[in-house]
Amino acid sequence: MRGLQFELESGQQRRVSKAQERLKDAAGSVHAAAFVNVGDTIQVDHEAGFLRGHGTQVVNGELLATVCGIVERVNKLVSVRPLRAKYNPETGDVVVGRITEVAPKRWKVDVNCRQDAQLMLSAVNLPGGIQRRRTAVDELNMRSLYEENDIISAEVQSLYQDGSLHLHTRSLKYGKLENGQLVTVAPYLIKRLKQHFHHLKQYGVDLILGCNGYVWIAAPSESGKSSVSDTPMDLSNDHGSEMSSKRSTTLIPSAQEDGKRDLSDDDKVRDSITRELRERICRLANAVRVLAALGLLIFVESIIDTYEVSLSWDTAVKDMLAAEFCIKIVEREAEHRDKKELAI
Amino acid sequence: MSRAASTYAVPSYNATPDLSVKGVPPSLLSPEGSRLDGRLPHECRPAYMKTGAVNAAAGSAYAEFGQTKVIVSVYGPRESKKAQAFSDIGRLNCDVKFASFSTSVRGKASQGMEEKEYTGMLHKALECAVALHTFPKTTVDVFALILQSGGGDLAVVISCASMALADAGIVMYDLVPAVSLSCTGSEVLLDASMEEERWGDGGMIVAAMTSRNEITQLTMTGEWPSTKVSEALQLCLDACLKLAELMRSCLKEQVVAGGQ
Repeated sequence: MRGLQFELESGQQRRVSKAQERLKDAAGSVHAAAFVNVGDTIQVDHEAGFLRGHGTQVVNGELLATVCGIVERVNKLVSVRPLRAKYNPETGDVVVGRITEVAPKRWKVDVNCRQDAQLMLSAVNLPGGIQRRRTAVDELNMRSLYEENDIISAEVQSLYQDGSLHLHTRSLKYGKLENGQLVTVAPYLIKRLKQHFHHLKQYGVDLILGCNGYVWIAAPSESGKSSVSDTPMDLSNDHGSEMSSKRSTTLIPSAQEDGKRDLSDDDKVRDSITRELRERICRLANAVRVLAALGLLIFVESIIDTYEVSLSWDTAVKDMLAAEFCIKIVEREAEHRDKKELAI
Repeated sequence: MSRAASTYAVPSYNATPDLSVKGVPPSLLSPEGSRLDGRLPHECRPAYMKTGAVNAAAGSAYAEFGQTKVIVSVYGPRESKKAQAFSDIGRLNCDVKFASFSTSVRGKASQGMEEKEYTGMLHKALECAVALHTFPKTTVDVFALILQSGGGDLAVVISCASMALADAGIVMYDLVPAVSLSCTGSEVLLDASMEEERWGDGGMIVAAMTSRNEITQLTMTGEWPSTKVSEALQLCLDACLKLAELMRSCLKEQVVAGGQ
């Protein structure tokens, strides 16, 4: 139960260890056997030969692990997958990140990776699909698109040898995120799936499961899409005056536009989130937190399941992070796996 | 008696605040051959280690060797600071601090020098064990806090730091168990406590990567009879082997108990 801190009473402690026992029985002791520490020898078939994968080294003909984790074998390739490591990006991953810096022609984005990711100015979609003209002015107006500490969703475009990665937001679904809550979990808990953007109709909430372990839970944006698609960016002064009148529906007006309307627009959006919606967002966020603390995989079904269970048990939102709820979830999970075991 | 060469020039290893107290050294060994705390000369202190002590950190470990208590947290790999020069391999940034209540004399005045010295030595002991080329252009921060100074602090810090690095999932060639030893007259006392170190003539710290048979750091201080050196080194290496086993079982235990 990493991440949550509470004192367990002796009765609760007993229940936890009992549930853990059952989970272990269900999962088998496979995992414990496949676990290696740094410097441990990995058993390989020397006769048939082996290929050295990530997380391993060869010392005197023996294959040793260089990270703590689970041994994975694919044919002859032997690698070790670390248990708790930073996010390991792959091209095409959907990520949620936070802008840390506006640099020349690029934004630096924290995506829970070893290095900050780079989002080039040439890799973003301009509002309304206007062709970007490489002028000095649009570089100066980068802050009108994304500012420091803004949260954005993006896709990994390419990885480089030196460990850096480039992002792009060249689609309507990517862009700035607003009116929501960011929950950070261990990246290994989120599996790569076909769909990472979800609109939970029954709750009226948008959910983005970033592959990097950042989960975004928010009120749906007005158009049902990310707001970036209609974010203006001042391309040049001569166009600006004509077009600004058409951009009255924008969330982030350009620097030249009236500051007052900016405020009132913002207020309107915040006010439109009702108390019930906020509670639903918080309940979903806490469901994610509980799953993360218990080391259970996070995907839409498991989040909804935890949400519904918390409702049926009449648990208040704030009590979801307390010991009792976590233990009940563990026991429930153990029961489920037992049943699965029986079914097989 | 000859003065042994030291790999690292250190004025005095483990200068306890009241080192200036002169007096007749007490007998560190009883007539039966046991030490002040009842151990045999070649016996280590009871050790307790645990990973995951700090929630916010990428990896962390807590270690308790007799009276010495240490907590180490590891952050990163993360973006290097702007001010630092470009480097195409990773950077290891170490920092050792004494808690102000860790020594018998309260306060920072006596600890500042040691903090700097330990910081440098911790960095030297770890840098060749961490695969720095796997995280180019980034920094791994290792912060060690000595909660209670009870002798052999640096050795405990090194062992604990390598556990924390392993817990953070950072690529390393091997764990780095470290053991200290004190030489008093004709006796070598393994894993010396503070009282024993105070009266010791010489000290030795060995940090080793046991599964590769490599020493990452060997530090000798003080006065050493030449005949004792190889015996002491052998003792330390044996102790490192045993400590490595303890560290491995501890890391494994955490996984089996914590991750479902």
